[in-house]
Amino acid sequence: MKLSDKDIKILSGVSQVAAVFTLIVAVTMILGLIQLKVVNPLDSPSLALIKEQYDRDPSEKNIAEEVRAMDLLARRAYFSSRWQVETGSYLLIAGALIFVLTRRLIAGSEKPEPAFASEKPDIISQKKKYRVYLISAATIITVIAIISSFVLRGSLPETGVKIREAGQNTKEVKNAGTDALMAGSTNFPFFRGEGSRGIAGGTGYPVEWNGNDGKNIKWKIPVPGHGKNSPVIWGNKLFLTGIRAGTLEVYCIDKIKGEIIWTASASDFPGASKEIPDSDPEAGMAVPTAAVNGEVVCAIFGNGNLVCFDFDGKRLWAKNIGVPKSAYGYAASLLIYDKILIVQYDSDAKIAIKGFDLSSGDQKWETPRTGRPVWASPVLASLDGQTQVIINGNPNVSSYDPETGAELWSQPGLSGDVAPSPAVNSRFVYVVTDYAKLMALKPGKTGSEVWSDNTFTPDASSPVANDQFLFLTTGAGDAACYNAEKGDTLWSHVFDNPFYASPIICDDKLWMLDRSGIMYVASASGKFTLLAESPLGESSDSSPAFSDGRIYLRGKDNLYCIAKD
Amino acid sequence: MIFAQERQQQQRFPRPEFESGYQTPTHQLLNQRGPMWEYADVAVLIAALSLTSWFAIKKRSRKGILWMSVFSLAYFGFYRQGCICSVGSVQNISLALFNNNYSVPLSAILFFIIPLIFALLYGRVFCAGVCPLGAIQELTGFRPVRIHKSVEAVLASIPFIYLGLSVLFAATQSQFIICRYDPFVGIFRLNAPFTMIIFGVLLLVAGIFVNRPYCRYLCPYGALQNIFSRFSGKHLTITPAECTNCRLCEECCPYDAILPSDDLKKTEPKEITRKRFILYLVLIPIMTIAGAILLYNLSPALSAVNSNVRLAREIRLEKEKGVPALSKSAAAFKESGKTEEQLFSEESVILGRFRKGTPWVGMFLGLSLGAGLFSMTIRKTRTEYKPDQGKCFSCGKCFEYCPIESKISK
Repeated sequence: MKLSDKDIKILSGVSQVAAVFTLIVAVTMILGLIQLKVVNPLDSPSLALIKEQYDRDPSEKNIAEEVRAMDLLARRAYFSSRWQVETGSYLLIAGALIFVLTRRLIAGSEKPEPAFASEKPDIISQKKKYRVYLISAATIITVIAIISSFVLRGSLPETGVKIREAGQNTKEVKNAGTDALMAGSTNFPFFRGEGSRGIAGGTGYPVEWNGNDGKNIKWKIPVPGHGKNSPVIWGNKLFLTGIRAGTLEVYCIDKIKGEIIWTASASDFPGASKEIPDSDPEAGMAVPTAAVNGEVVCAIFGNGNLVCFDFDGKRLWAKNIGVPKSAYGYAASLLIYDKILIVQYDSDAKIAIKGFDLSSGDQKWETPRTGRPVWASPVLASLDGQTQVIINGNPNVSSYDPETGAELWSQPGLSGDVAPSPAVNSRFVYVVTDYAKLMALKPGKTGSEVWSDNTFTPDASSPVANDQFLFLTTGAGDAACYNAEKGDTLWSHVFDNPFYASPIICDDKLWMLDRSGIMYVASASGKFTLLAESPLGESSDSSPAFSDGRIYLRGKDNLYCIAKD
Repeated sequence: MIFAQERQQQQRFPRPEFESGYQTPTHQLLNQRGPMWEYADVAVLIAALSLTSWFAIKKRSRKGILWMSVFSLAYFGFYRQGCICSVGSVQNISLALFNNNYSVPLSAILFFIIPLIFALLYGRVFCAGVCPLGAIQELTGFRPVRIHKSVEAVLASIPFIYLGLSVLFAATQSQFIICRYDPFVGIFRLNAPFTMIIFGVLLLVAGIFVNRPYCRYLCPYGALQNIFSRFSGKHLTITPAECTNCRLCEECCPYDAILPSDDLKKTEPKEITRKRFILYLVLIPIMTIAGAILLYNLSPALSAVNSNVRLAREIRLEKEKGVPALSKSAAAFKESGKTEEQLFSEESVILGRFRKGTPWVGMFLGLSLGAGLFSMTIRKTRTEYKPDQGKCFSCGKCFEYCPIESKISK
């Protein structure tokens, strides 16, 4: 654009005025902001003083009025300062814009005046110079980096992290921090896996299969006895329990070949109960899942028969711990901690937590609990540097020392028919039940509810959590994901069928098995992404087990091994 | 699906009724931008890149490029408030590559890739007229001053370091430093920490004379554009016809991005050239390995960028040396019930990530330096003045300095 000298003069004047105006506004704003930083009206000492007076004597109404008045004044002053800063920024932008615009118009009207270089640059010496500059720059930066690496090292630890493959021994949980949430890839020792926390290890699991046409079904065998319990695995051995013709049984199955290695009775020992207490018609006597470590497998049944076998099927000990009677029957699965078998005993007559010597079966400790029986299972967690057994009770969520049975803490929890087991991560304990709510609790004696929500509440399926997310599936067919720390609902999805089996986190995926036997595999993230939908071909209420790239599902009648073909 | 949404939106509890006569305000929902708007942004990006390419290469219009800058500043800067932004998308991509739980939005991927594709095709047209950060500097840089080549060479290495570190910090889930220290986003949003506003304003004031200081000496995405643009198939030229070597454009580029013609008349002994060639070729792997070792050694210091590592350091100092941990993070940690073991364990995990990532960043920096030095040992016959494709912002400032351009346009 061509401009006359007069135009340029006018524009130049405008730009100078704009520059001065912008400068004045900028200086005023800077002073205002400094004032706001130094003398924040909300931090006024006189306000703090009067608040202290009120705290000492809250019944004094005059002081309360004075606090209100002063607080109002302070807030007005604060927001007035903020308004000044915000208005100032608009004025600043406007001034700067006019300055830039006018200067640009002036610059645009000027004809470029090329500089006539006297001598053409010597490329060789120019490149040499550049190399020197670049090497000098790199040397300076390298020296600074080397010095920084020593000076800034500070008190950081020297060793890098070694991700531990947990799960070979449950005692490893004892000293584990965040890594306690990681599970081994081979063993799946309890209901919902390692620590009963719903997190399985390993990778390479198939996401697609079809029980009807045999796709990715490695083997399928009928389970001799009826039961709702889930598979547990140690090494190459998988264990289930069931009831067949009135006899309670434990089955040991070769997880590779799909052959039953041995079957042991849990009904024929001295003192065994033959009673079949009332239970939910769908549930039966073999709801609790067995527990296994590298040497023994233990199982409990709906009539209180508690048995322990070695890996060859030889009974080590057996006893009846009293016939539990409750509305839906006995459901709590077992846990093993070091050399102690942990039993959550729930009956209308008595509720307790008991510890038995794993090798002899002698009761080492028993701690009575208060409240009503529940149908949830205990969970082993590492919280505050201590291994704890967490029970989702009614009305309290309680924690116990697995070595002594001493109650560590207890907090108000849920009411109603409590069946879902707790979920834990490295910071919180999560409990939920239908017609009540989902709660995140800060564990410990001084802990309390952190957040709660009552939108999605399962009746049987247990939630699962890692440090980022909490996932759950419900009896209404919902699946939901929450921000584990804050409780925000990140996603939810409605499926066609209800869920009783508990979801498992494995291989960065969320595995959700509905009652019709369809496994929904979703990304274990804060965004709902359904990766696969695989039918088993029969209904299932048992939770899946994961081991060495194979998934084990107990259907109504059969046990399936699913692996990539 | 609709059923599910309805269920989520149902009122679980009735609103309280106030005896004082307080009128509950009407419930207002935030107007969220739908996904279609994100795709509209992508469409605008493609259109702006296409138009800028047309102005730079076909139309050869500096004015057109400037108007594109005005549009991009208005749309991507003030209207979209600097987000979404190709410069910041580097971090989204890095985080997504190394963290399975992070789901990167498709628009972020497109904002990262599309300008690079255009750089491969037409040079740095994104920097010329589409990037709002570049646009605000382009419009305010009207009194260009050339700075000494030695300073230029030193400062020009910073974007590569910044790129390496921002990828490292994003991949280790520590910080998005590009966004955090974006000097102009505060101006676009009229809201930012005071220090960032001051930094942005200072850059703009400096940019009046030293044009595009952020693009030249800081922008990490610019470093990527620099690499891609070197291979561009069709780049802006200084002259629309054959260069007469009049040298009128020699000093016109404020970015020192014009390569003079070199007819190889003046030579040096072949032996010296050969030795230097071999020396710098050998230096490439040495510098790559040295970079990896150096950065690996820096990983403990660099990991302090992570807030959890800083917190762990503070707590450890308190525990071992009795220095009170007074920061807000320390107070929150003590309230949270989290144990020191957990914190230190997290610190170890983060440090492990840094130890894995730093050698790669070091290799990238060492390789860039080695390759840069090596390229200076190669001499090619050049019969005309042409843009340095890596450094050239395709701004078109050189057009009007070319007498052939003036002749043709007349």
